Amino acid sequence: MKLVGRFGTLSLNLYFWLFVAFLFAPLVVLVIFSMNNSMTPTLPLSGFTTKWFHQAFSNGELTGAVVRSAAIALTTAVFATALGIMASIGLMALRGRALTFAIAALLLPLVVPYISLAVGLLILLQTFGAGPSLTAVVLGHAVITLPFAILVLLPRLRSLDPAMNEAALDLGASAFGAFRLITLPLIVPALVSSGIICFVTSFDEFAIASFLAPSGQPTYPIFLYASARTPALLPDVIAIGAIVIAASLLLVVIAEAGRRWAERRLVGAGAAVQSALAEASVPLIAHR
Amino acid sequence: MPRERRRWLRFGRGAFVLPPLLLIVVLVLVPIVFIALYSVGLRTNIPGQPTPFSLADWKDFLFGGGGAFRGRFVYSMEITLFVSVVTTLAAYPLAYFLSFVARRHRYALLLLLLAPFFTSYLLRVIAWQIILNNNGVVNSVLWSLHLRPRGNAVSWLIYSNFSVALVLFYTWVPFVALPIFVVLENMDHRLTEAASDLGASRTATFMKVTLPLSLPGVVAGFVFVLIPTTGEFIAPLFVGGPNNQLFGNSIQAFFSDSPDWNYGSVLALTLIVVVLLLMLVFGRFLSTDLRAGPRGNP
Repeated sequence: MKLVGRFGTLSLNLYFWLFVAFLFAPLVVLVIFSMNNSMTPTLPLSGFTTKWFHQAFSNGELTGAVVRSAAIALTTAVFATALGIMASIGLMALRGRALTFAIAALLLPLVVPYISLAVGLLILLQTFGAGPSLTAVVLGHAVITLPFAILVLLPRLRSLDPAMNEAALDLGASAFGAFRLITLPLIVPALVSSGIICFVTSFDEFAIASFLAPSGQPTYPIFLYASARTPALLPDVIAIGAIVIAASLLLVVIAEAGRRWAERRLVGAGAAVQSALAEASVPLIAHR
Repeated sequence: MPRERRRWLRFGRGAFVLPPLLLIVVLVLVPIVFIALYSVGLRTNIPGQPTPFSLADWKDFLFGGGGAFRGRFVYSMEITLFVSVVTTLAAYPLAYFLSFVARRHRYALLLLLLAPFFTSYLLRVIAWQIILNNNGVVNSVLWSLHLRPRGNAVSWLIYSNFSVALVLFYTWVPFVALPIFVVLENMDHRLTEAASDLGASRTATFMKVTLPLSLPGVVAGFVFVLIPTTGEFIAPLFVGGPNNQLFGNSIQAFFSDSPDWNYGSVLALTLIVVVLLLMLVFGRFLSTDLRAGPRGNP
């Protein structure tokens, strides 16, 4: 007997697809209104236009904020992933209490609410007489994304056969040489996953950025927050939003396809599915 | 490889954990210590103000005139608990569908569920504001279908408990479905076969075998909403009215619009402690067991 009967199959199918529609509805709404010929996003629609895209692209403050956020997110992704490799290599060598303690400390940012962390960092800056800066934003984002990098990279490093590394060492490679020639190429898919998760988290982060970014240099979420309340700016926000949505979805599809391809080549399909599950569970905690 | 060199290598590798640890200490632990110092008046952001030790702000928040913030805390926890329960209930059938109905394409469909997450959270909240507001998509559809007189908006649709809960529900459902899906995938399917071979109906198999076995995933999913929602403050900024602001919004206000860093620190530290307590209670259900390597590290 199958676990789900015909009626069950039908209703579960219906439920799932209705839910997908619910999940994508806000995205679809934004994309539709980005091409609607009206100042206000209300029905009925008033005809097709691309003028909001032209207007949005000539809005220097908006495009500046998007570029600024992308630069911050890229720096964060590289920095956090590099720290994640270091932390993972260190964790693999630790045992016993030191390991428990190090893991607890490194994953701590997962359980400190972003709003509390943000005000804590604000206090830290002011205590040491430093003003708000984009460097501070990058540091804040590096801290909150470091656990994601570790959660992606550590299981991947653990899954490698230590014999490969030892063979390289026995054959005369330096410790660094063995890492660069053996380990690094094998964890490229995990590095890419880590980079994407850190980039997306940083690009989207509002709480920490809103407290640490200088007032004249808003990040994209800060600009969104400020301008979503200004009706005159809303069409620009929606137009750029539609592009950001399309780009993000495209990135997800490309990354997933690329990761599957690479995993299949490196470790076989079975392991690919396992690591897909492990990596998919990371954003779980990502988002606050 | 000589033992001596191997030990050295391992010792050297262990030291790699220090720079990331240092970052966490300086940028997470030290700020928490400063929040604690602010909360008892030992530091202040106002130049020249004396900084004697004082529990006045704590007393005010816990027992005194800070009833508004206590109320907001209780309201936050109520909304959080409500959203967590509803989200978990709604997510279970999604995970069940992926694991038992959509056998072949389940990973592609899982990605479909998770994809909206990778788009900006603020954008999605703004989109909900556009959908729900008084001239919004829902109201104008109701008007054009003549279900309501034009211009007469549904009052509870936005700036209400409903809109805040809806946005949080929307955000979290896919992520609750995920741990439940993982548990269902790793379930021993011989058990359900045995149940039906022994004559159990589909309902009985589900109630007596599948559901109990999947409970760890259910609890993990529940925690995945509970923890981040406790500190949420973005959704109420866009779709919440004055009465639907959460505890996180109070903290934000104390550090921006109406600055009182000392009182704000009391609230910020309270939030940290509450989340840590929740983690102590529920944390063991989150099976991110990083200690054990698959190769059975010695």
